[in-house]
Order: sequence, then structure tokens, then C-alpha cells
Amino acid sequence: MRLRIAYTKVEDARYIAHLDLTRVFERAVRRAGIAMSYTEGFNPRPKISFGFALAVGTEGEREYVDIELQRELDLGEVLGRIQEQLPPGIRLLQGRALTQGAKPLMAVLNSASYRIRILMALPILPERLQEAVSAWLAREHVTYSRYTKKGPTDKDIRPWVKRLVGEIHGDEIIFELEVEMGNAGSVRPEEVLASLRELEKLPLDMEELHVKRTGVHVSYQGRNSSPIEHDGFVQLAE
Amino acid sequence: MSKLTAAEIRRQVERFLPKVLKPSRYLGSEWNAIKKDWDKTDVHMAFAFPDVYEVGMSHLGTRILYHLVNSFPEFLCERVFAPWVDMEEAMRERKIPLYALESFQPLQEFDVIGFTLQYEMSFTNILNMLDLAGIPMRAEERGPEDPWIIAGGPCAFNPEPLVGFIDFFLLGESEEQLPEVLRLIAEQKVNPLPRRDFLVKVAHVQGVYVPDFYHVTYKPDGRIESIKAETDVPSVVEKALVQDLDNAFFPTNPVVPYLEIVHDRMMLEVMRGCSRGCRFCQAGMLYRPVRERSQETLLKQTEELVRSTGYDQVALTSLSSGDYSCIQPVIESILEKHGEDGVGVSLPSLRVDSFDVGLAETVQKARKSGITFAPEAGSQRLRDVINKGVTEENLLTAVEAAFQKGWSTIKLYFMVGLPTETQEDIDGIIDLAKKVANVGTKLGRRNITVTIATSFFVPKPHTPFQWEPQEAKASVDLKQRYLREKLRDRRFKYSYHDVKTSYLEAVFAKGDRRLAPLLEWAVRHGARFDGWGDQFREDIWMDAFKEFGIDPHFYANRAMDYDDILPWEHLESGVTKQYLVSEHHRALQEAKTIDCRHDECSGCGICPGRGVQIELKG
Repeated sequence: MRLRIAYTKVEDARYIAHLDLTRVFERAVRRAGIAMSYTEGFNPRPKISFGFALAVGTEGEREYVDIELQRELDLGEVLGRIQEQLPPGIRLLQGRALTQGAKPLMAVLNSASYRIRILMALPILPERLQEAVSAWLAREHVTYSRYTKKGPTDKDIRPWVKRLVGEIHGDEIIFELEVEMGNAGSVRPEEVLASLRELEKLPLDMEELHVKRTGVHVSYQGRNSSPIEHDGFVQLAE
Repeated sequence: MSKLTAAEIRRQVERFLPKVLKPSRYLGSEWNAIKKDWDKTDVHMAFAFPDVYEVGMSHLGTRILYHLVNSFPEFLCERVFAPWVDMEEAMRERKIPLYALESFQPLQEFDVIGFTLQYEMSFTNILNMLDLAGIPMRAEERGPEDPWIIAGGPCAFNPEPLVGFIDFFLLGESEEQLPEVLRLIAEQKVNPLPRRDFLVKVAHVQGVYVPDFYHVTYKPDGRIESIKAETDVPSVVEKALVQDLDNAFFPTNPVVPYLEIVHDRMMLEVMRGCSRGCRFCQAGMLYRPVRERSQETLLKQTEELVRSTGYDQVALTSLSSGDYSCIQPVIESILEKHGEDGVGVSLPSLRVDSFDVGLAETVQKARKSGITFAPEAGSQRLRDVINKGVTEENLLTAVEAAFQKGWSTIKLYFMVGLPTETQEDIDGIIDLAKKVANVGTKLGRRNITVTIATSFFVPKPHTPFQWEPQEAKASVDLKQRYLREKLRDRRFKYSYHDVKTSYLEAVFAKGDRRLAPLLEWAVRHGARFDGWGDQFREDIWMDAFKEFGIDPHFYANRAMDYDDILPWEHLESGVTKQYLVSEHHRALQEAKTIDCRHDECSGCGICPGRGVQIELKG
């Protein structure tokens, strides 16, 4: 039985590194007394796979994991038993048994949305903010220097950005950002804001920035949908 | 340092936590972590491991004591580890005091901080952690509002370089002793006695050493003239000991870390103590006598561990698990019961015989990568000196079995700089390595690797070699270079330990309380994580010795006389000095001493009068 589960990765769980997340789920399932399927070979590993990694420290409101079990079990019961064994901050939201041949998460997910809260270094008028965002989005190419181990490399980050809106709330701005993701990479939310600050001269305090990934999507012809299709799933109570 | 509340610390730490390496080291919300109500507990203890999280969390003693203290409703125990250098820098920059993981309470708020002394090279981290916590390093500068600073573990058997910083030490096994100490601290909180009166009271708990009450005088040549105890405390402190290991406390709900730690698995303590009597081995002397746990207990514990942790591997730990009398049936029962759920067994210490190779074969789950043997010395003569009861024949038979069963990498451990060692013994290492590789070649195995690792012998207190000097580091350095030169064959891989840290380890292992101010100076000048090659700063230490006019050779390289008063003369492991002297004699005569477990008593002195005896379950 192949399970696809939507979960949160918030509070303390946001510090769990992506590579450690497999172990966290693996141990929770084992504690729950549910038998997983294993890979073949010299060093069998449980079949657990995720979508695109979430940066350490960034909260995820709706992430996904696929887990393959040895036997067919009642979905609601399985989710309940696993939930009991998960550390704080990882809450299961929804689950679904995948049909045979369903593509893995990495093959279907292609976009992500973020909510970014950032402090203004100086007061900004709402019109000024809208102008800046529009001007930035109107650019065809946006070069951003990313510092890597090999030194700074320039890349064009504009093509990845699908949507960007900002709204002032008190002394901070809340941005909603949607980016494309793929095997060729993507852009980090911090990079978009740093570029907005630099190119459009917006006084943003980059030290006071909180990023949350609100969702990852299967995006097709301008429509976002969840990798869990909308039939036959089990909705868990909050 | 400004006083911050737990909530303020948490808020501030979270602002930079994503930027430090491995932030999940600093959280305290792992599975099975115990969060108790601060206001509903009488005594608050922070268990402090003076190294990084991944090392500290792998230590069985830490796991045991954390859960032991928390098993009492009136006590609260939280964990704290040495923050890695990047985290320390971030905390110091923002003046955030060191906090305990579970509650984020600053260490300053606890009633007692208990450090574990696993190796000498972590001493600097202890002082640095106190400093980070804003607690004065020196006991004399601390007041009644400060926590008691206590310490236990193997290095408590010669804790003299830490005298002046630690209020009192706990010698031996803490399962019964530590709760007793905490009860006294609870009483002290309600009806406070003057510091000295409290310390006298605590000095009467088995194994508690209060260094203030023991006065040391020195001869003009620097040797110790006398160690005199005050009249109201025991003149000699003798270790605490668990009489019934099978019924002793053992946690089956250990904390399961988020990040991968060094020993990332369940641990079963199959027995305590080892009576093989290797003469260099401090643990072998300190943890006597041999006491085994019963199979029933171990199986019950395994079942609980699997259910509470979700780990897929259980390590059967002890000083020499192959010697556990029921090892085969225990492994079989565990695999029978839990093998289907993907649970495997691992044996961290293997003897050099084919029986253990057979066991390794049984437990091997994944690909056969490497198997390790520790002949410790290159020649039969030297192995007899150190009482490592292993022959070349034993080793080669075991190696043959390993190659036949499919292993392709054999790792061999040796020590360099052992007492009486000559060039022949060094050549013996090369010889043995070649013979091992040839066994593989003869069996037609291609692509085999023999990894040879050498470490630099450090004479340790309470062993028959405690009087021995450490060999000069320049000479050991030459020997290791020689080995590197001679082991240049594609079948060999040679690795060796840096001599500089082992030298400092010898200074502190055999050191006395005159080293304490030097230790503090080194910490103030930036020494920490000395056991980490990339952090060790030899320059600081050399400056420190110069600054204080202390000759490190006096400690590391001086042969002591039997009638010299040792810095740890007043601290007893239960193994008599007379026995250690006779073992030292026998070493020099190249005479072996048998294992009392299966043969007659060798008279080490541990059993009589302590209500303990060798306890075998097989």
C-alpha cells in the first residue's frame, strides 16, 4: 500500500534537516508498529520519499511524503497511529492511498508558494510598495549573484517567479510569492526580496525576515492542484 | 551577563538558529525527551556532557542517568552539551547564557550541574561551558545562589586538575549514589547548612569526593609529600558500586535524536566490567567485578526499546560483549523476535577469535564492509607484557574465517609507545599486517584491504601501567612515520593518531591539582574541543606551560616509584595497589595473568567486603 500524506513542518520541527526527515518518519512508523516496504539490495532502506526540500528553519504549512507499507490497512487508522508517534510540529493533515503506477512526488510537484513577513527598515507608502513590485515583475531578466563554494555566480531569477504581491501590515510587509520549482533548480524567497530591495530601492530589513512555505503544487495550465487528488481522501480533524 | 528568562532565551536563539550548523542539536524536543514542570519539582539538575550533542547523546551512561533522575517525581533532569564553536560565537555575541535543552532555562537557574568526565581532552569544555553559562569557574567565587557543580565518570578517578572548579566528584557507578546526593541537595534547599557542613554531609555518601577536605603538600623536587584528609571525612574515597545489575535501573525509553549521532541505535548493556586484565586498560580496572544481565531482562528491555524508539538496530554493549556468557542465545532470540521487523543486532567490540567472527556473521545485516580486531601490539612478547591474551594464530584463524565469510576489509588496531617496546615490536606490526593480507591473497581474494590504525599509548591512573612514563612524543612520531613508510602497499591503509593530543592527555591523566590554574588560563585564551583535531591549539598549551613554569614532561614522561604518593592516592577503585604492583612486575617479566571469570581468583581485591561477586548468567 502506497500512502501519500500531507503534513505540517512547523515549530521545532522546522529545524529538522531534510536528510534527517526520512529517519524521523521511519522511526515513527516503526514505533506505530506498522510494517514498511524496503528497497532491495545490500542495504535495504524503507521506501519513504519526499518532495522538494524545505530549507532548515523555514516552516512548511503543507508538505508531502510518500510511504510504502507492506500490507493494505485502514487509512484512517494508519494515519492516526503514525500521528501519535510523531514529534511536535509534524501534524498529519490528509492522506490517500495511491493507485498503482502513481508518479512520485518529485516527478509531479513543480511549484511552491511562500508567505514572507519582513520588517520595513524605513516607512514605506502602500503606493510605493505596489510600484516597486510591479516594476520588478515587469523586468524581463533579473540578475542575482548567488554565493556558492566556487564564488559568486550570476543567475537570472526572474523566470522562476510566477506571482508576487505585497501588503503592508503595521511595520511589516507580508509578501505572497509563488515560484516554479524543478530539477533545474529554483529561486529562494530571500533572494527575491534581496533583489527587490536592491533593484527597486525598497528599504527592507533583511535581518528581520520570516519565511513560511504555504504549499507545494502540481501546476498545470495556470491551475494549481494538490498532489493528493480530490477524491477518496481522508480529512483529519485539526 | 544579563539575566534572561527561558522564554527570552528561546526567542533570541530562534532568530539565528537556522544559520548555525545542525540546529536540531539545540532543541530539546526530541522523541522521548522529558519535560517536567519546573515548579512542581524539588531539585533541578542539568546533566552536562562536555562535548557536542552527537557525541554526548551516544553515551550510554548519559542515557541512564538522565532517565534515572527523572524517574523520581521530585527531581527534574535536563540535558546540556557543549555548543559547537559557531553556536558559541553566536551566543557570546548576543550575550545569551548557556541553557538546558528541555526548558531553555539558563544553567544558572539549576540547583546542580553534573558534568560527566569521559576523557581528559574535554576538561577545557567544562570550564568554557560554565563561563558561557555566566557561572564563575572557580568554586571560591561562587555563592549560595549558584548551582552545585559536580562531576563523575572515569576521569573522576583522578580529577585533580579540576580541583577548585568542581564542588565534589562522584566516583564509581551512580545509580544509587546520585539520587542520594540529590536528596541531600533537596534538604539543603529547605534547611540550608553552611557550605562546609553540607559538604561534610555529602562526603559521607559512598564514592563522593570533596577535594576541599584533602590537603596536598609537595616535596622540593615537585613530587607529592602527603595527602591529608580532614578528620570528619573518610581518609580514602572508595567508588560506589551496583550490587545487582540485573535489577538496576535501565531506561528503555531513551531520547531519539533528530539528527544522526555517533552511535545512532538502541543500546543494551549486557554486562558491566571486564576481567580480561589488559594492563593498559583503565575501564577494565575501574568497572570490576564482571556482572552480567540475565537473558530474560535483556529480551524484555529489547522489546520495550523497539517499541519506544523505532530504531532498527540494537547494539549489545559492554567492554567486551563477546565475553558475555549468553551472547549467542541472546542474539538468536533478538533476531528471532524482531528480525522480521527489520531490526538488526550489532556488536561493537569483537575479540580476536573465530567464535566472534561467527557472531559477527550472524548479526551482519548489510553488506560486509569491515571487521575490526585489536591485537594492540605487534609481537607476542609485547602482547604478553600488556596481558592481551591473543596469539598470532588466534588472529590469523579469525582473519581467515572473516575472509572466507566474505569480508574484504580487515581493520587492525595497535598501540605505539607501550612499555618495553622495541624496534622489533614495531616491525611486528608490519609483519602481522603482511601475514593478514597474505591470508586473503592465499584464499584467492582480490581487492582486500587491511587497515592498520595506531594510537599513542597513554598511561592511565589505577592501571598496572600507572607508574610508567609515556614515551617521548618525538620518538613515537618517528615510529609512526616509519610505519607509514613501510606500509606503502596497495593492500594497506595506515592511519595514526596525532601525538600532540595524546601527550596532553597523558599530562592531564597523570596530573595533579597544580594544573588547575593552567587549565583555566588555557580556556581563557581559547582552548576548547581539544579532542577535535581541527580545534586543538597546541600553541595555547605550550604558552600556558611557559606562563606557569610547569614542565609537562614532569607529568607525562616521568617514571614514578611505587612509593611515590600518586595524585590519586586517596581515591580507590577497589583494585588494590598491591595487585597493581604485582601486575606491573608480571608485565615486566612478560608473564600473563588469567581471567578470573573462568579460572581462579587473581586477587585484585574488588570482591571481598563489598557485597559483590562475579555474576555470570550462562
